[in-house]
Amino acid sequence: MKTINFKNYLLALLASVAIVSCVQDDDFSVPESVGTEENRALNELLSGGVNLVSISELKAMYDSDPDGDGNNNDAIPFRVDTDIAIKGYVTSSDLTGNFYKEVYLQDSPENPTTAIKVILSQVDSYNRFNKGREVYIRLNPTFENGAPGGLYIGEERTGNEVITIGGGTESDQYGTTVTSLSQNQMNATLLRSEITEEIVPLNVQFSQISSVHIGMFVQIDNVEFEDNLDGLRYFDPSEDYDTQRTLQSCSGFSYSNMNIETSSFANFKNEMLPTGNGSIRGLVVKTYDGSSLVLALNTTDDVDFNGERCELLNIDDFNLLFDEDFEAYSNFDEISGDWTNYIEEGTRDWIARTTTDTGNPGSRIAQISAYNSGDVSTVSWLITPAIDLDAQEFEFFDFESSNSYSDGSELELLISTDWDGTDAGVSSATWTSLPGTIVPDDTYYKDWIYSGLVDLSPYSGTAHIAFKYTANSGNTGTYEIDNVKVLVQN
Amino acid sequence: MKKNSFIFLIGLLTFCTAFAQQTVVKGSVKDLTSNLPLAEVTVTFEGALLSTQTDALGVFVFSSDVPLGDQTLNLTKQGYIVARYPIVVNEGETLEIQDMMLSLDDSDDDLFTITLSDDELNDDTSGADNISGLLSSSQDVFQRAAAFEFSPSFFRVRGLNTDNGNVLMNGIEMNKAFNGRPQWSNWGGLNDVLRNQELTTGLAPSSYNFGGILGTTNINLRASEYRSGSRITYSSSNRSYTNRVMATHASGMVKGGWSYAFSLGRRWGNEGFQDGTFYDANSFFVSVEKKINDNHSLNFTGFYTPNRRGKSSPNTQEVYDLKDIKYNEYWGYHDGEKRNSRVRRIAEPVLMLNHYWDVTEKTSLNTNVAYQFGELGNSRLDYAGGANPSPAYYQGLPSYFLADNDGPDLAGAYDAYQNFTEGGQLDWNRLYDANLTNNITGDYAAYVLYEDRSDDNQFTVNTIINSDVSENVTLNAAVNYKRLKSHNFAEIIDMLGSTTGYLNVDSFDQFQFDLQNPNQIVGEGDTFRYNYNLEANILSMFAQAQFKYNKVDFFLAVSNTRTNYQREGLYQSEAYEDNSFGKGAKVEFTGIGAKGGFTYKFSGKHLLVANGGYLTKAPTIRNTFSNSRDNHAIVGDQSGFGITEEKITSFDLNYVYRSPIVKARLTGYFTKMQDANEVSFYYADGISGVDSGTAFVQEILEGIDKKHLGIEFGIEAQVTPTIKLTGVASVGQYTYDNNPNLLLSSSDFVDGLDFGEANLKDYKIAGGPQRAFSLGFEYRDPNYWWFGTTANFMSNAYVDISPLTRTENFYLDTDGFPFPDYDPTLAKELLRQEKFDSYMVWNAVGGKSWKIGDKYISLFVSLNNILNTQFKTGGFEQGRNANYQSLKEDVNAPKRRFGPKYWFGRGTTYFLNLNLRF
Repeated sequence: MKTINFKNYLLALLASVAIVSCVQDDDFSVPESVGTEENRALNELLSGGVNLVSISELKAMYDSDPDGDGNNNDAIPFRVDTDIAIKGYVTSSDLTGNFYKEVYLQDSPENPTTAIKVILSQVDSYNRFNKGREVYIRLNPTFENGAPGGLYIGEERTGNEVITIGGGTESDQYGTTVTSLSQNQMNATLLRSEITEEIVPLNVQFSQISSVHIGMFVQIDNVEFEDNLDGLRYFDPSEDYDTQRTLQSCSGFSYSNMNIETSSFANFKNEMLPTGNGSIRGLVVKTYDGSSLVLALNTTDDVDFNGERCELLNIDDFNLLFDEDFEAYSNFDEISGDWTNYIEEGTRDWIARTTTDTGNPGSRIAQISAYNSGDVSTVSWLITPAIDLDAQEFEFFDFESSNSYSDGSELELLISTDWDGTDAGVSSATWTSLPGTIVPDDTYYKDWIYSGLVDLSPYSGTAHIAFKYTANSGNTGTYEIDNVKVLVQN
Repeated sequence: MKKNSFIFLIGLLTFCTAFAQQTVVKGSVKDLTSNLPLAEVTVTFEGALLSTQTDALGVFVFSSDVPLGDQTLNLTKQGYIVARYPIVVNEGETLEIQDMMLSLDDSDDDLFTITLSDDELNDDTSGADNISGLLSSSQDVFQRAAAFEFSPSFFRVRGLNTDNGNVLMNGIEMNKAFNGRPQWSNWGGLNDVLRNQELTTGLAPSSYNFGGILGTTNINLRASEYRSGSRITYSSSNRSYTNRVMATHASGMVKGGWSYAFSLGRRWGNEGFQDGTFYDANSFFVSVEKKINDNHSLNFTGFYTPNRRGKSSPNTQEVYDLKDIKYNEYWGYHDGEKRNSRVRRIAEPVLMLNHYWDVTEKTSLNTNVAYQFGELGNSRLDYAGGANPSPAYYQGLPSYFLADNDGPDLAGAYDAYQNFTEGGQLDWNRLYDANLTNNITGDYAAYVLYEDRSDDNQFTVNTIINSDVSENVTLNAAVNYKRLKSHNFAEIIDMLGSTTGYLNVDSFDQFQFDLQNPNQIVGEGDTFRYNYNLEANILSMFAQAQFKYNKVDFFLAVSNTRTNYQREGLYQSEAYEDNSFGKGAKVEFTGIGAKGGFTYKFSGKHLLVANGGYLTKAPTIRNTFSNSRDNHAIVGDQSGFGITEEKITSFDLNYVYRSPIVKARLTGYFTKMQDANEVSFYYADGISGVDSGTAFVQEILEGIDKKHLGIEFGIEAQVTPTIKLTGVASVGQYTYDNNPNLLLSSSDFVDGLDFGEANLKDYKIAGGPQRAFSLGFEYRDPNYWWFGTTANFMSNAYVDISPLTRTENFYLDTDGFPFPDYDPTLAKELLRQEKFDSYMVWNAVGGKSWKIGDKYISLFVSLNNILNTQFKTGGFEQGRNANYQSLKEDVNAPKRRFGPKYWFGRGTTYFLNLNLRF
């Protein structure tokens, strides 16, 4: 009797226990709601009246020296007041701790033309804004409470040329700078799409790197750490914050250099510097004080220095096949002799001048300028005499260049192995661009820029090298060249 | 209702008088519900020194020295309501009283239930662990108040931790070797089968073991000891679980000498009083006994109570001000469901075999074998590749922005305020998103959910002998051997969407967790971080003699315990390459104990009891290895102080008054503990000498002396047959009594940091109120309902101080000279120990029972903290800001960023219990 009763209630109990399954389970899967809010915001951005502008346009909204007196203490970050957005691809990663509360974005995953920095109050942002991620930044979102939400375009240190998106501003005697985006601003403005692209590093040489490259992911080949760094680590424990180590690349008879900067918070800081030669990929950034450009690594996986260290060429092994310093010309002489000085369009040709530039004082140089020519279009060639590339294994070409009143006018360095030597044949010949460095537009007009040794060994036959100047009525800047040489191995 | 069965009336009693030469009083006692004879009922002549127990047939006899005239017989039995019967004894006559009825005490059951099994399942770091559960079955008014009224305030009897008391099951010690404390949840939900308890408190003698200075509770789980019958219980509460069902059946002795009992229970709820604290527990119990013959009996008992529970966080004052006392930072919404990241999970079944042998009529031998195994896990989030996910992380709170170096950042503070008050919970989506993002780039998991596991295998064997050498002398002795193998490791239980795995390398310093298996990629179900075994062997012996005479009782007990511990590393930690893998040195301890006490009976009403004891005992495993996760190091190795047994000296003096109306006890006690070590583990931010970032540290305090002294007072008065008043007071002072040495150890700084002396002397020991008072009223209506209420006053509870700030590190600059701006007056103010506000908690209980046919239904309701008083039950200073300058800066900020973290008591809660017996 009792046993039966007991069975009854035992069954009832088991049933009631079975019904109970509402307690938190320990088996959770990925929440369905992951990303829905962000996708909604992004769709609103893409489908609504938000105006997509380029990163360059956005950067141009900020002027670090409004009164043009060369002092940045009047810099005022620009507060975005219209509903605009930019799109970019993340180039930095703080996974290793080498970047801190900052993200760099460039305008394209491949062959970028510009990049921008965003400062956040967020550590470990790599696991949200992963490298290669397509990110939209809505610069003036509308908040529900109607509060103005415009972000600021400025610099973290006035005049450092690192144009940065910030969430607020602060001022001191050096000017007004931007401050980090708060969590709320970050959530409302930085919207990721589903896309992660592979960032193809922009291949550059040290000599080519300029402030244009700040924030871009670049690759430099055939580089190594300086000889005296053997046995040292990325970080120098005697430093408080950052350590700079010098990279070098064999550039013919001398090294060209650039520093790599590593934070004391980087988890690879105690790794030994590799001693070989190879390629390195990283971001071009500025030092904290804004004084110079340096490379910063995302990870040491981007350092591939497994090759043999490079050796400088020995000048004793080379002869100067061609050496033009223009000293034989008088001021205002047209360049002539072995040179071909050919005007394709307009009226200006290359002339000899005496420069007063501090980078090359008192020297006679070759100059081209369409200034005051009145020509609608100017195309002027200066072409070297023939160079026999088959007589020896190695040959190099180098020169120096400078500019004045730089603008949209251009100078190109070209090579042809099928030009017949006549003016008429210039336009029908095949001209290929050479990698030698030509003075960048933002270089100070009194500075002279070395081209680097341009390796001609990939070419064969009889070659001519040309400086091709292109200008128009609105862009009539001046270019100057000097010390044009062809070196050949004995 | 049958009036004549009510216990306070004597209508049912049958008086039989017969002529005889002797004056004899005899009778029998039965259970009111089952009508079966009750054994082991203590029958006492109130006001005289005469008492006896009923035998198996429920019969008792007084045949000598019987007091004459108007007398009162007092019937007591564990779990039953005390009954008092007025009788008239005439010289030379035999008075026979048959079928005196005892009624089960439901209130006792239910209160007992709540206290023991629900509240004690707290994290051992919360300080919420207390002894009160041990006392719930006590008849002593003070101890009952401690159990039922004071325990929600984390009151500790005499300021002592539970490791000073022993819980035995069928004579087998259940305290864990790791921390010396009983693991209540191993028998949670089995309330119906835990009723047969034998409690000795303080230094009083237990017949099973030497015991700690708080006493011993032996819970008898023999199948034959359960009253036959069945019971179903349903309970509803808003404390820790929402629902409970239990069903229990006991056969009593059936044909062939067999008895069996089993019990099933389930407790569950999505949320307790604190937000996001789910509860999910099942209980299974079986006990079978075979009486082989009159002298031998064999019993098997097994129980298994798997239990999972969401934990709740301690919070700073700022967090409490922004939220409320229910706030819990550990949970967040996962697709609309509250998911707690810190889950405590216990599943440690116990199997035991007990042999009972009545060697002679006077001597019994009890031999037991027990095996316990299973898993204990505490989950938490690992954030090797991501920002600290805690929603209450200091960098996300307004105080952080207000303390900005460039002046208060009001906009940031407002943002933080908005975010925290409107959200302020764990963002699971962000954690998953981080891992999914890392899947894209091929980076390792930024976040994983893992369990700190401790899987014990424990084997115990013991023999206990009891012998009544003469009418006045009882001898007890026991031999115990216990062997424990505890496997400790961390295991990933949820990869949170990551498919790339987790790199088993310390993200903080790039050290390999296991050099035997470098750069291992681990995933769900894999062991990571640390992995080691601890072995303990404990052999103990105890002997005791108890003497009982007319005026004086006294006893003497001695014990000897040999303990050894050994660590075996299964990982080779790169940080401790030579001291982590394989077996470490064996540490050995020898503990001795001696105690004695006497009772002087001035009369039946007045008793004086004095006890004293001295014992040395091995430190627990927890307090022996300084950094067991990483290496073999033993506490005292680095400082050179070595490790030794803890020494405890304890005295108490009691005055007991017992009259038919009033029962009272006044006790004074003094306990001194010496040479103790304390190893505590915590995540510390910004310890000096450590690179910025978070480090999991072991704080090792060596050679601690503590002093506990105070008085306890309890009085109860049965002012009318239906009304009882109670009053209880505990006034204590628990302080550190010396300046122990402090070290910090961590895999994040390979050489431990020795901070030297910590100036702790005279600081108060944290852990509940040092003063507690209770006033109670109870009414029992003859119509089977009752009601009681108590007002409880708590004061002198203190925050747990951070010893680090009490070292010279506090005022010395890095150059070894005091800070130039060091102001001793201000420093004293900064280091003043916070005393929590005193408070009053009002509780009420009531119940009613019905008899329907042969079934009983009882209903019981308890309300706690009816006035919804908000109070702090405990708290600790954060290990940050270990020096004068940073502490001063923090205290002077508009709001403290690194103020102490507190636990808050519950607001108004209820517990309802419905019970059916048949």
